[in-house]
Amino acid sequence: MRPTDPSRHPFADIQLSRRSDLLAWGRSRSLWPFNFGLSCCYVEFATALTSKYDLARFGSEIIRGSPREADVMVVAGTVFKKMAPIVLHMWEQMMEPRWVISMGSCAGSGGMYDIYSVVQGVDSFLPVDIYVQGCPPSPDSFMRGLTLLQDSVELEKRPLSWVVGPQGISKPPRPSMRDIMRDERRTRGGLEPPDRI
Amino acid sequence: MGDILRELTEAFGAERILEQETKDGMPTVWVAPGLLLELLSYLKTAPSGAYPMLYDLTAIDEREREHREGQPPSSFTLVYHLLSFERNEDIRIKVALEGERPSIPSAIGLWQSADFYEREVWDMFGVGFEGRPAPRRILMPPWWEGHPLRKEHPARATDMGAFVMGEAEKAAMMEALRFDPASWQVGGEGEAGAFYINIGPQHPSAHGVLRLVARLDGEVVEDLYPDIGYHHRGAEKMGERQSWHTYIPYTDRIDYLSGSMNELPYLLAVEKLAGIEVPERAMVIRVMMVELFRIISHLVFYGTFTQDVGQMSPVFYMFNDRERAFDIVEAVTGGRMHPAWFRIGGVAMDLPEGWESMVLGFVKYLRRALKDYDAAVMRSSLFKARTVGIGAISLAEAIEWGATGPFLRACGLDWDLRKTRPYGGYERFEFEVPTASGGDSYDRLAIHVEEMRQSLRIIEQCVTGMPTGPYKADHPLATPPPKERTMRDIETLIDHFLGVSWGPNIPPGEACATVEGAKGQNSYYLVSDGGGMSYRTRIRTPSFAHIQMTPMMSRGLTVSDLVVILGSVDYVLADVDR
Repeated sequence: MRPTDPSRHPFADIQLSRRSDLLAWGRSRSLWPFNFGLSCCYVEFATALTSKYDLARFGSEIIRGSPREADVMVVAGTVFKKMAPIVLHMWEQMMEPRWVISMGSCAGSGGMYDIYSVVQGVDSFLPVDIYVQGCPPSPDSFMRGLTLLQDSVELEKRPLSWVVGPQGISKPPRPSMRDIMRDERRTRGGLEPPDRI
Repeated sequence: MGDILRELTEAFGAERILEQETKDGMPTVWVAPGLLLELLSYLKTAPSGAYPMLYDLTAIDEREREHREGQPPSSFTLVYHLLSFERNEDIRIKVALEGERPSIPSAIGLWQSADFYEREVWDMFGVGFEGRPAPRRILMPPWWEGHPLRKEHPARATDMGAFVMGEAEKAAMMEALRFDPASWQVGGEGEAGAFYINIGPQHPSAHGVLRLVARLDGEVVEDLYPDIGYHHRGAEKMGERQSWHTYIPYTDRIDYLSGSMNELPYLLAVEKLAGIEVPERAMVIRVMMVELFRIISHLVFYGTFTQDVGQMSPVFYMFNDRERAFDIVEAVTGGRMHPAWFRIGGVAMDLPEGWESMVLGFVKYLRRALKDYDAAVMRSSLFKARTVGIGAISLAEAIEWGATGPFLRACGLDWDLRKTRPYGGYERFEFEVPTASGGDSYDRLAIHVEEMRQSLRIIEQCVTGMPTGPYKADHPLATPPPKERTMRDIETLIDHFLGVSWGPNIPPGEACATVEGAKGQNSYYLVSDGGGMSYRTRIRTPSFAHIQMTPMMSRGLTVSDLVVILGSVDYVLADVDR
């Protein structure tokens, strides 16, 4: 399932796959987000849907108004204590398989809002799959988070039925961005001066 | 002594009116609680020039304040801020309250709009109000203990113990949020047979975490009860613990659609307290960025409003234009939505090489694009059918309820602070103030659209008339001090280090600064006790006032009209709840 090189043999793209892998691939390329936002980050999440960023390229442009139809909850913004039970309630209404992206520093850890009304990280009550950092993260950062989630979903092992084979979900280890970025960062030379465009 | 102070001492007696000097020059008087309503009522209709708008109502916990020279003893001070269009002047009335749990007569009989403000003061300070139904919490959840803006209340979440939400806690919190006509004080409307529908706090047309409960008769909205506070981020308490310098990023996130626009009133207030004169170049750079952010905010409003009404395409065009504006913001500041780029005394750095052509290119582009959008939206008969006459309010109602900005101008009042009280260098620019007369949803959008054109005019004048000179004031309290010399002399290095770690010490005093924000008038009222942090930071936002008006605007209309009205109000929940 890699990009096609037109010079190759026409049958070169035919791949044999296990049914479970094919389903995992399909799941990973059609992650429908829940149309849900908390604060500033939601605006950047919504911007990712518009034409400059075009989230449709990753199969995630279909935002769902109902949690029951959504695959991924993007916790975009500050998790307020007054709002927290509602966030959890909506996550409970989502059907399996479901994933959670924590978008922004507030959702990740409280961020710059270590203040009485804010929960210090949504992972205190939700299982987070991907953390996207930034305040708010740019739409590009969000898309990087989404593609990381796609990679992870593709490698997830889920039982095909309730009777055959091993049961339970096994998720791949979560890589650290520091490791992923190391080689690219090593090649970097000087810094761009900020007084030029 | 100003005219109004002389008039008040003549009307009420010199011994009952105590004047206070403030750094912002706004007439400020102290009165006894017993005189408050009489004085407010006098001012509201004063024949010499009325103060018809209750612009703000807040409190100060004075129990730990050291510098209160010339002020009467007080534990909690109530602050009423009235606005007069006729005089083009504001007045601040203060009432000293003693004791741990004081209360004060309610002003709700004079201004219905006092309701939200009094509930907020109760919620945040525990100050009671007499002569009205007992206020219930507005920003904090019903299960909250304590009043966050009292000095004894912890500021940090990490000082309060971990937030634990198991099955039982979640169920209890959800139950506490349940709509109950009796405890929500919806009057006699709660009888059997009434049909209520809950909208939000998670609903696409609520534009954020806003909750509304509507009482319906069929599809007609009989009444509406907004429930806010789901976005309360403690921004005012945060001001009491961040240094004057490190508070700047928090201001960006109040009206989070218009970034730097929020930094300006805060810094104008700090600069008034510190006595800093901002150099001309810094002023014009600030105006340019602020007007760019006005356009950015208006574009989001334009796009999302049309989408609420059912048009799918415009929002994509408008978000793309917003990206074009963000290209400039990024080139100048390095950031996008929240650049935190203004500084006490100026801006963070000079403009980058080549900024002029980038800005002019955008101006030229957007002028043409706005014409296309006129055809797609403003002249669309379907759009007009959904918005003209919907959510109309009169000018008198707008003033009564504290509406400002495009909201007020859509009702016909030619009132724009950039013209009536030029601040931050606006007096040097030529632009017009658009007004309309219908006060409906369509007119509110029409004002926004025309304002974008005027902002483009201002931005163009910034490019052609950009003064030369420094971009930050040469003042000991300007923060951070010049970086160039930090590595060469120890004095500057120490100053720089203290300026960014402890922050500058701002002289004691009080000052309020107001700007014409994207959504209406936005004020920062700061109290300094002479320290490195604010003693009290009050943020008066337009959205808080406007959201209180939604019930009045939607009664008798349908649910689909309600969506149009919400779209036309141009609020942001962070601006409502702070």
